[in-house]
Amino acid sequence: MPATDQQASFLGRISIRRNQVISVDGNNDQELEDLELFQKHVADRFADLLSPPEEVASTEPLLSISWLRKLVDVFLCCEAEFKAVLIMCREHSQICKPPLDRLIPELMDRAVKALDICNAVSSGVDSVRQCQKFAEIAVSALEQKPMDDGQVKRARKALNSLLTAMTIDDKENRDFKGAERTRSFGRRGNTNSANKERAVGNFRSLSMIVAKNWSASKQIQAMSSNLVAPRGGEPTGLALPVYIMSSVMVFVMWALVAAMPCQERSGLATHFQIPRQLTWAHSMIGLQEKIGEEWKKKEKKGSVGLLEEMQKMEKLALSLIEFADGFQFPGDTEKMEEVASQVAELAEICGKMEEGLVPLQTQIREVFHRIVRSRAEILEVLEHAAKISQPTT
Amino acid sequence: MCNCQTIMPSYEAEQHIIAATQHILKALGASKNLSDEFKRVLTELDSHLSTMTIITETEGGRFSEIEEQLKHAERKIIRWESDPCLIWDSGPMEATEYLQAVNEILIVIESLGGLSLSENGKPKEIALRAQNALQRAMSRLEEELCHILFQHKQYFKPQYVLLHSRAEGVFYDESFASVEDEIVDETSQRDGEDRESAECYLDLVDPCVIPNIKSIANVMSASNYIQEFCEAFIDIQREALYEYLSVLEMEKLSIEDVLKLEWDCLSRKIKKWIWIMKVIISVYLASEKRLCDQILGDFGSFNSFCFIEISKDSVLCLLNFGQAITTGPQKPEKLFRLLDMYEIMADLHLEMDSLFSEDNGSFIRIEYHKLLSGLGASARETFMRFGNAIASDASIRPFPGGGIHPLVKYVMNYMRLLPDYCDTFNLLLKDQDIDESNAVVEIDNGQDFSSSTSCPMAYHLRSIASSLESNLIDKSKLYKDDSLQYIFLMNNIHYMVKKVKDSDLRLFFGDEWIRKHIGKFQQHATSYVRATWSSVVSMLRDDGNTNLKERYRRFSIAFEEVYKNQTRWCIPDLQLREDLQISTSQKVIPAYRNFVGINNRNVSDKHVKYTTDDLEELLLDLFVGSPRSLHNSRRR
Repeated sequence: MPATDQQASFLGRISIRRNQVISVDGNNDQELEDLELFQKHVADRFADLLSPPEEVASTEPLLSISWLRKLVDVFLCCEAEFKAVLIMCREHSQICKPPLDRLIPELMDRAVKALDICNAVSSGVDSVRQCQKFAEIAVSALEQKPMDDGQVKRARKALNSLLTAMTIDDKENRDFKGAERTRSFGRRGNTNSANKERAVGNFRSLSMIVAKNWSASKQIQAMSSNLVAPRGGEPTGLALPVYIMSSVMVFVMWALVAAMPCQERSGLATHFQIPRQLTWAHSMIGLQEKIGEEWKKKEKKGSVGLLEEMQKMEKLALSLIEFADGFQFPGDTEKMEEVASQVAELAEICGKMEEGLVPLQTQIREVFHRIVRSRAEILEVLEHAAKISQPTT
Repeated sequence: MCNCQTIMPSYEAEQHIIAATQHILKALGASKNLSDEFKRVLTELDSHLSTMTIITETEGGRFSEIEEQLKHAERKIIRWESDPCLIWDSGPMEATEYLQAVNEILIVIESLGGLSLSENGKPKEIALRAQNALQRAMSRLEEELCHILFQHKQYFKPQYVLLHSRAEGVFYDESFASVEDEIVDETSQRDGEDRESAECYLDLVDPCVIPNIKSIANVMSASNYIQEFCEAFIDIQREALYEYLSVLEMEKLSIEDVLKLEWDCLSRKIKKWIWIMKVIISVYLASEKRLCDQILGDFGSFNSFCFIEISKDSVLCLLNFGQAITTGPQKPEKLFRLLDMYEIMADLHLEMDSLFSEDNGSFIRIEYHKLLSGLGASARETFMRFGNAIASDASIRPFPGGGIHPLVKYVMNYMRLLPDYCDTFNLLLKDQDIDESNAVVEIDNGQDFSSSTSCPMAYHLRSIASSLESNLIDKSKLYKDDSLQYIFLMNNIHYMVKKVKDSDLRLFFGDEWIRKHIGKFQQHATSYVRATWSSVVSMLRDDGNTNLKERYRRFSIAFEEVYKNQTRWCIPDLQLREDLQISTSQKVIPAYRNFVGINNRNVSDKHVKYTTDDLEELLLDLFVGSPRSLHNSRRR
């Protein structure tokens, strides 16, 4: 990726610049050029996410695990470049002057919110992994040849747990103070079969790490509420990159929240707007529209999230449960073929999850640690700049 | 289908054959001669029968035996489905019988295993029934498992003990005003309690049911249902851990929430966190691991998989709080809490590594180590900032009376707490660039280079003391009166020396530093005496122009002026005050006595405003901090 090379040179320059502290001969053109490049790279990266080359599009559809991994990579690249632009800025003193004296603290505030979102999303990855485990049980049961009643029931039970884990209302996150389980123990004898198949994993989505009453949707809203594009006439060059980075951050967090099981996401689709006239934002807006559409379609139906693999898994699970309910040994040959292909598809999804979820979670942690580090570095620059500018003002 | 009918005739067909055979036998009994045709048919029947006998005696016999076995097992399994009681609640016999039934089904499945199941017929039918029964049994066992785990979970509520909170009450506020000398005298006993809970296990589940759980695990694993077992086990145990955390009053806080907390509240939560970390990692998780080993020890990777799934979320939640702390602003008062956090995590890291030693635990291990080093870096950074904050603390107005500046009190009391963290500190500071020029400035001739004075912490402490001293010099320049500058410096350096001498700091500052600084404040004392009293005493000197009366008068005025000023000044340390009063007397009294002795005959008493004794007494009023005046009042 050409962007990576660019990034290296940026980083190379930071260290030089930092040593010089105040360089006399640095020229303004260089800065403008850096800013141009930053915008171009953001635009290119998002264009690639919106309309990837043909051969990639089929293997990495929108909101699939591998697409999300790419999205997270894009965030990391943009972030590195942004920091380079910010830290390399010659006039650090402008950081303490309007409008940056407001914009940068706002960015830092967004960063903190993004950290909590990373945690929630990472926990969402674990929920998906649990669904994967149930799907694997179903797959191994349904792969038995010939398929017998016992295995079909076993698969049905696993699929039922899978769906229950998926459809837990994401508003529901008890404080674990009230963690008394509401299992229906000891009430055996009520032999209606729906009750008997207690879904294990009911509580998976109740993550420890996400605070009570925390709302992903509100976080996104708060991150974007004060996000305003700089007006054309504003003198400082840094307001724009700060705005771009904020938009990238809000967008990426928003997309992750939409994709992964996450606590409280009502109204997610409407939460943030990027002005259309900005060229670097075209693809981002395109993506936002696509995902927003999807979200509106799915919002009422539950809370699995838009993760492509989960959507497919849900459909397959529903269809296979229907099959299981009507199954009678040995099963109709035509139906059995159809089921075999669905099972194969489910197995393939499990394979993708097995392959992609752990790396995705690791990447999300990387985003987390990167944000922590950058935030500290930027605060340091801020502090330093404040110290320098203080005696003169 | 035809094959099926020959092997296993239906009941009806059987009845027909029996009827037909009886008919044949009857006919045979009636006739004596057999036609050739009749004989041929009977021979055919005979050969048919001979092959059939084999089937009935071997295969058929075995199948019916297997079928009997299955029926028996099925009955037991089905019987429990309509029973409102739980099997394991109904007594060990019941449970054993149930498990026996499942084992019978497994035997049935195994004994059919050699036959091709795609083949239809009796074996197929038995096999299907067996699989079905097995599934029902597994579903039931899963339910029983959840119930047992849930009903027999055990907690102990550990008593909340504050762990070595060594650094209470050093509050930072911008004015440095809240620091008092007394508050830090609790640098207290630690150690001892640190290790006592090591190797302490809890029974998270009543030990008497462990064999039951284990037997369920065994049979579910033998039936190839181990995944279901694990999911159920994880589900219950993870929930139990959540619940335990709530018993410990661990709160779920977002990073944003943590950053908004007031320091007092945050400090309390940190202490609590330290305690919870200790309880969870070295007691609870160690016990959970043991439980997993007991139950799943024979099942390879399922064991570590379950343990990690049970604990991951909670551990990450705990680590997240730590992360939030390192993310917040690095105020000096946070240093001790950061060091406490760092120390507990460093203490626990080996346990943590062994709990999560498998590959799939690396995520947690890595997060743990990231936080550990993050806390270290944060502590280091906070300490550096502390140093910088001292260097840059600027005052606009001189500190009234020349007494001990609050900054000095704050810094010295703060530093006094650091030796307790010496080892950790040295580890953290080891790789830091030390500003040598600053740090070494105080130890010029490497005489007392014992290890404690040359460790990184010692350098840093002296470096801080040296910034503090430069800052004091800057602050002293705010006084217009030179003499007060000296008093201020003398007071404050004396205070620093005293704090160093009276605490473990002396080991890090070293005798050389102490000697040198005693020299410094004594020098300031000397300078004071010279600056204030040389001119006063010089009034008594005969300069050839001034008559005796005038010299007395000028001396008295100068003395009164000093008295008025310097009774306002303050030397809080009594010993130091006394010493300075003595050296002042030594400068003034002999000169005055001498002057009076030489001149007492030439001047009338009314011009001698003060006797030597008066002066000696008046000097004792200096530096008390309460202004007095001698104007218009004779002290006789």
